[in-house]
Amino acid sequence: MSRPPVQTARAVEALLRDLGSRLRRGEAAEAARSSHTGRLVTGLGPIDALLGGGFPRGRLCEIAGHPSSGRTSLALSLLAQTTRAGETCALVDGADGFDPSSANAAGVVLEQVLWARAPGWSEALRSTEQLLEAPGFGLVLLDLTLDPRLSRASRMHTPPATWTRLARAAAGSDSALVVLSLARNTGTAAEIVLEMRTTRASFRGSPALLEELETEARLVRHRTAPVERSVRIRLRSPHSSTA
Amino acid sequence: MPRIACCRIPDLPLSAALRADPELKGRPLAIASGPGPRAELVSVSPEAGQKGIRRLDRVAQARTLCSELCVKVASPALENAARQALLDAALSCAPRAALAAPLSGSFAAEAVVFAEASGMEAVFQSERGFATALLERVRRLGFGLGCGPWVTVASSQLVARVAARRFAIRHPEGDRVELLSPRSERAFLASLPLDLLDPGDTVQAALTRFGVRTVRDLLQLPRRALGTRLGPEVLELIACARGEASEAPLPCPTEDRRVEALDLEFAIERLEPLNFVIQGLLSRLLERLEARQLACGEILLRLDLEGGGRDARRIGLAAPSLDLRSLVRLVGHALEKHPPEAPVVGVAVETQGQPLQTDQLDLFRPAGPAPDSLGRTLARLELLCGGGRVGSPREANDHRPHRFEIEPFESRATVRSRKAQCPESGAHPPTAVLAVRALRPPVTAEVRLSGSVPDWIRSGVAHGRVLHLSGPWRITGGWWSPESRFAYDYFDVHTSDGTISRLRFDHISGAWHIDAVYD
Repeated sequence: MSRPPVQTARAVEALLRDLGSRLRRGEAAEAARSSHTGRLVTGLGPIDALLGGGFPRGRLCEIAGHPSSGRTSLALSLLAQTTRAGETCALVDGADGFDPSSANAAGVVLEQVLWARAPGWSEALRSTEQLLEAPGFGLVLLDLTLDPRLSRASRMHTPPATWTRLARAAAGSDSALVVLSLARNTGTAAEIVLEMRTTRASFRGSPALLEELETEARLVRHRTAPVERSVRIRLRSPHSSTA
Repeated sequence: MPRIACCRIPDLPLSAALRADPELKGRPLAIASGPGPRAELVSVSPEAGQKGIRRLDRVAQARTLCSELCVKVASPALENAARQALLDAALSCAPRAALAAPLSGSFAAEAVVFAEASGMEAVFQSERGFATALLERVRRLGFGLGCGPWVTVASSQLVARVAARRFAIRHPEGDRVELLSPRSERAFLASLPLDLLDPGDTVQAALTRFGVRTVRDLLQLPRRALGTRLGPEVLELIACARGEASEAPLPCPTEDRRVEALDLEFAIERLEPLNFVIQGLLSRLLERLEARQLACGEILLRLDLEGGGRDARRIGLAAPSLDLRSLVRLVGHALEKHPPEAPVVGVAVETQGQPLQTDQLDLFRPAGPAPDSLGRTLARLELLCGGGRVGSPREANDHRPHRFEIEPFESRATVRSRKAQCPESGAHPPTAVLAVRALRPPVTAEVRLSGSVPDWIRSGVAHGRVLHLSGPWRITGGWWSPESRFAYDYFDVHTSDGTISRLRFDHISGAWHIDAVYD
């Protein structure tokens, strides 16, 4: 026996009200996504909690910040955790700024890192596409933190379609694509965007040594979670007396 | 009782030309001894033979008989590469193989490879299965287009070779595989005309005068008397006729260098046609490597230039690869960067075959990139980033900061086995450490001093008043030579723009630079 039309309409309205609120909160979508896409942890508890467990596989994410904002430290921490979990990682170094000693101190297993020192912006983007097409890399890190003047000019000439294409390439692979940049570049193509800024630098002791850097990470974009949340982390200097 | 397989190509110049240019199949084709209309023909295709063209005809004469005749000049480099490809085909299915030494006389154009057939029935189900597999592999390497190949299996190299000659004459269109049982070899040899044993001209002429035309006739003559009359050559011939000639065992392969080469009929000036020629050579080279389960390592490209010069260059690969497209682009890229100084008249591509990297999957660890796709990816990255800029980073054994090395990126199996041998090696435990970002090259800075200490900095990276500073720390070294000498004072500097950078003063040049940023 079928329901009267009025009762059906009320049931549908109630369902839409309930579904609508859940969709706006992002719970259902987030649960659906996290159930089939793994996450790569950074090893920095507050950051992992902010991201909802880590950087998602198969997605394009971005870490933006000015020099000394802590984005490289965050990236190396992510690289360390991923390589120590047995994954092979790739670093496309468009800025030629990777320092193996610093990475080693952060705990990165260097033998599991493929370092491609791209001579320019275009070569870096194309190299990233090649790496996303090759299965087996758990993390592809694209460092585009070039000279601010070059970066600005390159941003003007990088169409949004480039980031959409990279995001699609990442979605077709099992790799997490994390872009390091001076300022937000990826637009709406990124799943997650973190902005980093320095809050405090500590020089202590006699003679004065750089002890630690306190930095704030602000979640400015997340497809399925609330944004405009931030956390602070402390990064210990390699010269620190407690290092 | 040993068993030897013999694969015979009756006309190597023709087969080599068809291997290099398969589009010539079916057309009247002749190979000339040199350029020009007066050159003699050394090889003639069956299609040209049907037009009445014969070996030793002059080129001009042949063209009058057939206007569509395609004439190619004999290329020793091409023939040598074809010979080596034949050896690769044999070694792809047999543990030992060797090429027969080239002959003169009526069999000068043939190419023969011997392969160990003893025990191969265990791998290929039967001796015929092994012979068929050998034939198939030889055809796959480009020898299926001309006359032959024929494969025979017998108890010795000589008998197998002679049998291959005989069956090519008797059954030119028949089955290309023949097996001779040990019991039937003597009877087979006895029925053969003597010239199939390739006696020397003097011996042949003498025996012909005596009316000796077949092996049976020769064996009926008294051995000692014949040897006294005609010398030791005829005693060797009798031993061959009896199937008793002593033969060295076939060697195991030792050399893994492969060359594909071509002498060009016209000098090439432009890069595009040169790349096309190199692509053909690389394609054949990769086929040979693939047949032997090997991949292409470093490429050595040799260009013979007009005027007698030579251009030789090495093109390194990040990992052994069988990806033709990437290799062609790598070589093309190298030629674009440094074009040859003169038109090219000869090209040779050489490589050392390297084993394909394999990786054992692990139940408890994630699967890394597959070795074959990794090799292709690394080749493409090298093309984009340049040679020496793709690989695995390492700290250099150098006390200067930011020194590094890049090593070839290895498969995970190699890394795991090395780690198992050195369990103490490896990175520090992960910590939240402030990282350093190197600036390559270091950025010039203008520094205002307050006393001996930086007070204000202006540069493309850090700008402003110095808020905090630590240092200086002096690093010196290389004092023994002017080129390697260095002396730096390092400071960690926090400027008012928020940047924490590593500033250095060079005592030798007197310049200030920022060579790293804490980030």
